[in-house]
Amino acid sequence: MGEIVVLAENETRVAGEVIDGRVRVDGASLDKALGWELKPQGLCRGEVCVPVADQAALELDGGYDLAAVASALDSTALVDADLGVVAVSRSGAERGAAVHDMVAPELVLPDLTGTQVSTAGFKGKKKLLVVFASW
Amino acid sequence: MADELADTGFMVIAVALEQNKEAIADFVDGITYPVLIDANHTVTELYSITNIPTVVWIDENDRIVRPNTAAPGTDTFKDFTGVSCEPHMDALRHWAHTGEVDIDADEVAGAVAGLSEGEVQARLHYRIALHARRTGDDEAARGHFDAAAGFAPHDFTIRRSAMPLTGGDPFGADFFALYEEWQAGGRKYDGLPTPT
Repeated sequence: MGEIVVLAENETRVAGEVIDGRVRVDGASLDKALGWELKPQGLCRGEVCVPVADQAALELDGGYDLAAVASALDSTALVDADLGVVAVSRSGAERGAAVHDMVAPELVLPDLTGTQVSTAGFKGKKKLLVVFASW
Repeated sequence: MADELADTGFMVIAVALEQNKEAIADFVDGITYPVLIDANHTVTELYSITNIPTVVWIDENDRIVRPNTAAPGTDTFKDFTGVSCEPHMDALRHWAHTGEVDIDADEVAGAVAGLSEGEVQARLHYRIALHARRTGDDEAARGHFDAAAGFAPHDFTIRRSAMPLTGGDPFGADFFALYEEWQAGGRKYDGLPTPT
């Protein structure tokens, strides 16, 4: 069994392989790879569950097709079979929060000391989020 | 300005679309508010950002009260970017002191259309490009940077940000060409214009 690098909310390595351009991983790896766990009631993350009408349609060769699971979350996956890498977008709900619901999504990013900082820790303050770069 | 408004319960959170903090070392000297390094461009996906500088006003309950706005931020950003926007800073001060936003609710709703499918796909290619580059596979990286550019040709967070990573000059000929393309394409910015 090989290893697949999953570039999603986090970057993780999980046991898996590419079969005809599709990425197969164990069900147990889904939580680590995508942050969502497959349960009888659907794909769940904390208290939130996304119902999956046909869980069997997500299966691949004794495991799960990562792109199919991503699709069930209204996410998009891109596989590079040669590199053994799959990039996965955030779910449609996560990407729509700011645009449609005017809800500011949490960011968890390193500060200048390398410490992970969550923007959710600043609730109670008015915040000016400034996105910039040197280019 | 961040210090000036600190008593009002206002703060700045700066997010840099950079591969490392060294790229913005000149800027951060003396800054006391959080400066976060977003190497994987997470914020552009979650907030539908396609150009910088972009500012977002977020209230005490983490609600967006002024969506993606083409403005450079506070006075400290002026030193870094050479661009200032007094009207934005005035509106910011007013909001900090009174809680009043300078735009109407109907300007807020629908101000940002959100990323297109192409822009989502571009970000996936870009993410793989960054990974390939970090592992030393420059050829694979180049292929994915090019694919990303093809999917989102007018997205500066895809095209201009890749220039320093691929031997290009984000302030030179490559950038001028991108700018002309953007102009010809209608100078689109998905959000609110610079306050005047």
